[in-house]
Amino acid sequence: MSESLHAVLEGLPQSSLTTHVLGALDWIVPGEWTNITLFEAMIKDVTGETDEALIQQVGERALQLYADESTGYQRAVQVYRGIDSASTVAGAAAMANLAGQRFEILSFLTDVTPRADTTQAIDAGIKFAGELVGFTLCNGLPGDSVGDFVASLANYGKEERMRLAAWLAIDCVLPLGPDFVTKVLEALDGPLESIQENRVFEFVSEHLPGGIAEQRDTIKKNVEESRGHLEGMVSQHGITQETVLAKVKEYVAIADDKLDVAAAALDLGTNTFEHTGIQTVARRVITRAYGEI
Amino acid sequence: MILRRMLVALAVVAAVCAGVNGCKKDEPKSTRWDDAAAAVTTVQVSPSGAPAAPAIQAGVLPKYFPKDESLAGYKRVHSADKEGYAEAKLQKDGKEVAILSIADAEKLAYAKAKFDTAADKLDGYPLMTVGNNQTSVLVKGRFQVKVSSQTLDNDARKGILSKFDLKGLEGT
Repeated sequence: MSESLHAVLEGLPQSSLTTHVLGALDWIVPGEWTNITLFEAMIKDVTGETDEALIQQVGERALQLYADESTGYQRAVQVYRGIDSASTVAGAAAMANLAGQRFEILSFLTDVTPRADTTQAIDAGIKFAGELVGFTLCNGLPGDSVGDFVASLANYGKEERMRLAAWLAIDCVLPLGPDFVTKVLEALDGPLESIQENRVFEFVSEHLPGGIAEQRDTIKKNVEESRGHLEGMVSQHGITQETVLAKVKEYVAIADDKLDVAAAALDLGTNTFEHTGIQTVARRVITRAYGEI
Repeated sequence: MILRRMLVALAVVAAVCAGVNGCKKDEPKSTRWDDAAAAVTTVQVSPSGAPAAPAIQAGVLPKYFPKDESLAGYKRVHSADKEGYAEAKLQKDGKEVAILSIADAEKLAYAKAKFDTAADKLDGYPLMTVGNNQTSVLVKGRFQVKVSSQTLDNDARKGILSKFDLKGLEGT
């Protein structure tokens, strides 16, 4: 028996290193994200309804839709979880219980080895393909529907916009700098093995049609066609290595100013895709349930 | 690698222990949904044997949504196209103002039954409000077409409903 939707959502922490980091990045997407972790609160946010019987009806329908594996929502959650589980050490989750004070990840940093630019760039590209896959699973499109995904990026809102901002800040700009798109594309053009061996690839590849070469083409096309939107978002909101690090340091104690080390530590200690991805899926399922009842 | 993970884990344990006094417990989670979630499993194990009309495949429903030119001042963005359900966001000045949806209610008896008491009609189809924020019409006794919005009133929602191709939907 799979976990029910309300259990999945309510399993998210109300306060954790991840929520602090997301809060620190709020300046990129002001007001888009609030950390909703209670099922009832999400139903009220989506519907704006107050009638308890109606809220119950929406909730029960949402639970049914999610429980039906053929709807794809469970697989979307698996992908969002997979993106992070591959890059987050198990022990980092324990930090989620630390709250009420600035997070201290100094102890991490002494032990974190920054990744080579190429590895980081491939990771960023494949995570973005994971976002494409999550989008297609939620919306009922084939896994390689890059055109639909890119067109929808401009309409991203709430948790999905927060997730995109966090990916741009932590996975792209902080470790790779302003020309991150070029670096990602160049890295993806390297040996196919470097993609196959990537930790996130296994969670994403099964949803991308074709063999490894076609999958690489899809991953690249996804970045190429989104380039204008991504670079526009970075320049419009002033996302630079300096602004990201300065903001994060307001909320999280990072002793080391080395950008690649800070990026690696944040990647290791947070699960922004899983956290906001589950919130996105819950919102999508509840929206549909509200339409169906 | 294993040694590195152990070191990180140890560091984290130390951090958690050191921070115990600063810990804040999460708000208690509700048990409101536990029974409903358990019931879902039961339904799935022994589905009702009632025959249903053929499922409506993805790709069928979006074509009955309002045409862009009929939605002056609004922008429509399709957001779901799944078996038996299609959805679009309606935006104004870049902000989402409504969700438009068509849902196959063939297997949801209660969704259809509520129209039995509908007093209004739109182009001959039963029309009603649902909760505070939805206006809905039932087409062919099967398809529920809805406009959901926390900002548009019932008249505005009804106006948007009238832009759907309800007659076309009747013909599916």
